[in-house]
Amino acid sequence: MNHESKNEPHNTHNNSHNKPFIESAKLTVISFVYAYRANILGLLMGATFGFLMSHAGATTFDYHAKMFLFIDFQLMKVIGTAVMVSMIGVYLMKKYHVLAVTTGMEVDFVKKPYQKGLVTGAFLFGIGWAMTAACPGTVPAMLGEGKISAIFTLAGLLLGTMAYGVLQTYIANNGNYADAFKS
Amino acid sequence: MEISVWSGWLAGLAIGLFVILHFWLIGKPAGCSTGYGNVCGYICKKMSFYRQGEYSQRNNTKLWFLIGIPIGGLLSALSSPEPWHWSFDMGMYEEILPQSDAAKAIWLIFGGMLLGFGARLAGACTTGHALVGGAMMNPPSLLAGAVFFMSAFLMTQLLFNF
Repeated sequence: MNHESKNEPHNTHNNSHNKPFIESAKLTVISFVYAYRANILGLLMGATFGFLMSHAGATTFDYHAKMFLFIDFQLMKVIGTAVMVSMIGVYLMKKYHVLAVTTGMEVDFVKKPYQKGLVTGAFLFGIGWAMTAACPGTVPAMLGEGKISAIFTLAGLLLGTMAYGVLQTYIANNGNYADAFKS
Repeated sequence: MEISVWSGWLAGLAIGLFVILHFWLIGKPAGCSTGYGNVCGYICKKMSFYRQGEYSQRNNTKLWFLIGIPIGGLLSALSSPEPWHWSFDMGMYEEILPQSDAAKAIWLIFGGMLLGFGARLAGACTTGHALVGGAMMNPPSLLAGAVFFMSAFLMTQLLFNF
C-alpha cells in the first residue's frame, strides 16, 4: 500500500522536500501505524489467536470427537486452563483499573446480555459444532492450514449469519419481507 | 494436515494469557462470530441488518481480528513437520460423514449454517460465551456455554454410537 501521497501535504507544509527519503518513509510508516493501530493490533491478535487455537488442537477434527466420546480431554484441559488463567487476569485488571492501550480508557468488560432465543441458538450451535467439528473461531484457522472442509463450513457460516439478519429485519417490519434488502 | 499439538495445560495457559492481552491491548472482550456480521454487510450491500447499529462501522477491530486468524493457522501449519498441502480428510469424522465429496460439502454447509445462525441467536460463539464470558463469570454466557457443550455432546454421541 502506498500511503506516502496521503501524508505529503503535512511534510510539504513548512519546508518542502527537505527530509531525506529514509526519514520521510519512517515518518509515513509511524503515522500510518498510529492512525490504524487498533486494526493492526486486531490483525496481530487474530494471527496469535489462530496460531494458539491451531497448536491447542482446536483445529484438529479428532480432538472434538474424542472429547465428546470421553476418549481424550485435550480440549477440556485447554478451555478449563484458559478460563481459569483469564479469570485471574480479569480480576486483577478490574482491581487495578488497567487502561487499554488503543483506547487509553479503562478496559471495558462489557458482558453479553441475556437475549431471547439464547438457549435455542446455543442448542443449534452445538449441533453445528458436532456436525462440522469446528466453531466460528477455528474455521478461519483451518482455512490457513489448508483444510478444504473449512471452505464449505465458512460458506455455511456466512449463510447462517445472513439468514439471522434477514429474520431480524422481517420481525422488525412485522413480516414485511421486502424491507430486508432495502439499502 | 498434521499439526503438532502442545500439551493441553500449556496451550490453555497461552490462550488464557492471550485473552488478558486482548483485553489490555484492544480494551474490549475478544470475539469471533460478530465479525461474520461485518463480512455479511460487505458481501450483501442491501442487507440492512448488517449495515446499521453496531454494524454501521464495519471496518473495525473485529473484522481485522477475523482476517488475522487464517495467518495464524498458516504459520502454525508451516511450523509443523508435515509440509503444507490442501486436504479434505476429516479423520475420525470420515466414518460417519457421507462418503462422496459433494455430499460431504453439503453436510458441512448445513452444519456451518447452524453454527452461524445459532451463534447470532445466542449472541456469541464458543470464544465469546464459553471462553471470554466464562472468564468474566457472566451468567448468560455460562448458560450458553453449558448448552453449547451439552448439545454438541448429545449430537456427537448420536452420530458415532447410534
